[in-house]
Amino acid sequence: MANAQPLQGIRVVNFGWVWAGPVVGQTLAMLGAEVFKVESQARVDMTRNLPPFGEGKPGPNRSLSNHACWAGNGSIALNLKEAEALELVRRVIAEADVVVENFGPGVMERLGLGYAELRGLKEDIILFSMPAAGLHGPLEHVRTYGLSLTSLTGLDSLVGYKGGDPIPVENAFSDPYAGIMGAFAIVTALHHRRNTGQGQHVDFSQQEVVMQMVGPAYMDYAFNGRVGGPKSNEHPLAAMAPHGVFRCKGDDRWISIAVGSDAEWQALVDAMGKPAWTTDFSTASARLANIDALHFGIGEWTAQSDDRELAALLQQRGVAAAPVLNVADLLHDPHYKARGTYIEVEHPLGFRETIYGAYVKLSRSAPDVRPGPLIGQDNERVFKGILGMKDDEYADLVKRKVIY
Amino acid sequence: MSDVRPGALAGIKVVDFGQMVSAPYCAKLFSDYGADVIKVESPTGDAARRMGPFPKDEPHPEKSGLYFVNNTNKRGATCDVEKSGGRELFLRLLRWADVLIENNLPQQMRAWGLDYGQIKDVNPNLVVISITPFGQTGPYAGWNGYDLNAYHLSGASSRYCGRPGEMPLEHGTFAADYFGAAAAAAWGLGAVYGRAAAIAAAFVGGQNIGGYAQDGKFDKRTGVGMPLGAPATILPCKDGHVWMLALEPGQWNGLRKVMGNPEWADLDMFQNMLTRAQNADVIYAFILEWTMQHGKMEIMEKCQEAGCPITAVFTIAEAAQQPHLTARDYFVEIDHPQLGRVKNLGAPFKLPASPGGPVSAAPLLGQHNDEIWGGLLGVGGGELARLRSQGAI
Repeated sequence: MANAQPLQGIRVVNFGWVWAGPVVGQTLAMLGAEVFKVESQARVDMTRNLPPFGEGKPGPNRSLSNHACWAGNGSIALNLKEAEALELVRRVIAEADVVVENFGPGVMERLGLGYAELRGLKEDIILFSMPAAGLHGPLEHVRTYGLSLTSLTGLDSLVGYKGGDPIPVENAFSDPYAGIMGAFAIVTALHHRRNTGQGQHVDFSQQEVVMQMVGPAYMDYAFNGRVGGPKSNEHPLAAMAPHGVFRCKGDDRWISIAVGSDAEWQALVDAMGKPAWTTDFSTASARLANIDALHFGIGEWTAQSDDRELAALLQQRGVAAAPVLNVADLLHDPHYKARGTYIEVEHPLGFRETIYGAYVKLSRSAPDVRPGPLIGQDNERVFKGILGMKDDEYADLVKRKVIY
Repeated sequence: MSDVRPGALAGIKVVDFGQMVSAPYCAKLFSDYGADVIKVESPTGDAARRMGPFPKDEPHPEKSGLYFVNNTNKRGATCDVEKSGGRELFLRLLRWADVLIENNLPQQMRAWGLDYGQIKDVNPNLVVISITPFGQTGPYAGWNGYDLNAYHLSGASSRYCGRPGEMPLEHGTFAADYFGAAAAAAWGLGAVYGRAAAIAAAFVGGQNIGGYAQDGKFDKRTGVGMPLGAPATILPCKDGHVWMLALEPGQWNGLRKVMGNPEWADLDMFQNMLTRAQNADVIYAFILEWTMQHGKMEIMEKCQEAGCPITAVFTIAEAAQQPHLTARDYFVEIDHPQLGRVKNLGAPFKLPASPGGPVSAAPLLGQHNDEIWGGLLGVGGGELARLRSQGAI
C-alpha cells in the first residue's frame, strides 16, 4: 500500500476547542495534513479534565474521551494573553495553509487574528470559522452547547417516542457531524485555492450544516405545511414498514428490522414461521396503515430470541436486521474488530488508550492514526524546526511561560 | 448546473450512481460547490422518487421531496447496467469521470460487474466513493441493511437516546445516511485533492469507548440530556419545548434571576451542577412549574440575555421561518418543471470567494439522456436508438 497521504504538505493551525473544532483537525490529520492545536496550560480546555483518565490518574493529559476526540491534532502551547505568544502564533500562521476556529464571532478580531490580519501574514490563507449560528445575523451571538444546538434546526423536535415529547440526545451529536463537514468545507476551499490561487474566509454555521439533516421533514413542511414530530424508530417518510427496534431476550437487548419490499416482507414472514396474523399485512399499504399492530406482532416474536442469533438468521434470508449494540459490545464485535474501527495506541505518557481508527478506509493509503496530544508536544518541532528559533530564545520563552 | 456559476469544485467530473440519501447527498455536496455531477439512474429511477413527501400526498416520480432536496445541480441520465449495452455505456461514462459515488450493497456491485476491482481497470485514476451500511469488508459487509440498521449498530442509540429500559431511538431522520455522506464527502474530496482512490464509509457515532476499554464500565441512555449536570434536558413549556441548560455558576444564577429568584432555588443541593443532577426529579419538577407558564421564545430570549445557553426547541415550521436564517439568505427558491417554485434549503456553508448552493432543480428521470450519451460520450443516433429499444436507456 503506497502511503502518500491525500493532504500531505497541508499545514493547519487549529484554535478549535471542546469538540467540534478538534474533530475538524482530527479528520484533516487522518487525511495526512499536519495539524497543530493552539492551547495553553494557562487555560486548559474543559474536556481535557473529563474522566475517565489513563491508568485512573486524573490530569489534563490523561482524559481518555478527550484523546479519542482530539487524536491526530498536534499541540503547541502558547499563552495568548502574552503579546509575544500572539506574535509567535502569527509567525506560525504565516507558514500555514489553513486556520480553524470555533470561537464566537468577533473573538479572532479581538485577538488581532481576523481574516484581514491573517491575509497580511499569508495572502492565500484559508480562515475557517465555525460559530454556532454563523458569523452574522440576528442569532450570531446565540449561546448553545453542541448538545442543544440541534434545537435550532428542527432536528430535536423529531426525536422521541411516537406521539410523545422530544427526547434529548445525550451527546453533542452536532459536534462530530459539523466537524467532519468542516473538513469537507476546508478541502473545498483548498480546491478553490488550487484553481485560482485565492484563499478565503469560510462562514460555516453549525446550525445551517446540521439543518441539512432535516431536509426530508423540511420538504413535507414546504409542500404540505405539515410539521413532523417524534415517531420512535419509524421510517422518516413513513415509506417503509416494518421499520423499528424490537426487544430481544436478555437485559436491554434489541434488534433493528427494516423491510423495504414485498420480497423482504415475505422473507421475514417465512422466518417467523408464517404466523396467521401476518396475512393481514401482505401489502405495503396495509403494513403502513397498521404499523402499531404490525410492530407489536413482530416484537412478540423477537422477544423470544437472542438479538445476534436472530439478526444472523434474518440476514440469511435477506432481511435487513442487525443487533442494537451497546458501548461494551462495540469493542468485542467481530465486524468492528475485523475493520479496526477502534484501535489501541500508546500515549506519549506511556499508557495504552483506545481511540477511533480511520472511520473511512482508503484503498491506496492507510492513515497514521496518532494518540491524543500532550499539551505542547510539538513545541520544539514548530518553534525550532519551522520558525528556526534558537535554543536559548526558546528556553527563555518557556521559562517566562509565553510558550506554556 | 455547474456551468451556471463556477464554484470551488469546478472541473471535477462526478458520476452519482446512488439512491435514497447517503450517496445522493454526498454527490450533492460536490454539485452544490461546482463539480459537474451526472446522476445515473436505472430506468425505474432512484428509490427516493417513490418515498415522498409528495405535494398533497399524491405519489408522483417527479414530485418526491426526498429526491428534490438531495439532487440539486445535477444532470440526470438513465442506464440499465443489467443490460450489456447499458453496462458498456456506464463504463464509458466512468472513463470520462474523476469520481464515482455509489451506495449499492457490495454484492450488488459485484453482480453488476461494477465493483472497484473491475472498474479500476477501466479508469485507473477514478476515485470511487462507496457508502454502505457496514463497509466493504468485515463479517457484516454482505448483510442487507438500511439507514436504521447501520445507526443502531453504532452504539449511539443504546448509549445516547431514549429512556432507560425503553427502546433506543434514532433521530427521526436518516441520521446514519447523512453522517456517512458527510464523512464520505470529506474523505472522498480529500482523495480527489491528493489523487488517491477512496473506498467505503460506514457510520460511527461518538461513544466513549476509551473509558470502557480501560475500566470495563459503560453507561447507558438516561432519557435526560446529561446525567452528571442539571438542568440539561428538554422540558415542555407553555407553547412547546425548551432545551434547559444552566451548568456553570454564572449560567445557573442567570436562570434563577430570570425565574424571579424563587426560594427553592436557594437550597444548598441546588448550588452546583452535579448535586442538581443528583436531585434531578426535584429540580426538574420545580423548573417545569415555571416553564409551563412561559412561551419558548420568551424563555430563550430572557435566558440568553442572562447568559444562559437556553434555546427554544424549534419545530420544523419554526426552524424554516427563522428571521436569522432569512437574514443569512439560507433559503433559496428553485424552479422545477413539475413542482413549480419551491423554497429549498440552501448551501450548507458559505464560501465567499466561490459561492455554492443549489441553483438548478433535481433532474427529471432521463432528462439529459441525449446531452450526456449523445453529446458528451458521442454515441451515434443509430446506436442510441438501439440502446433505447433494448431498454438499456
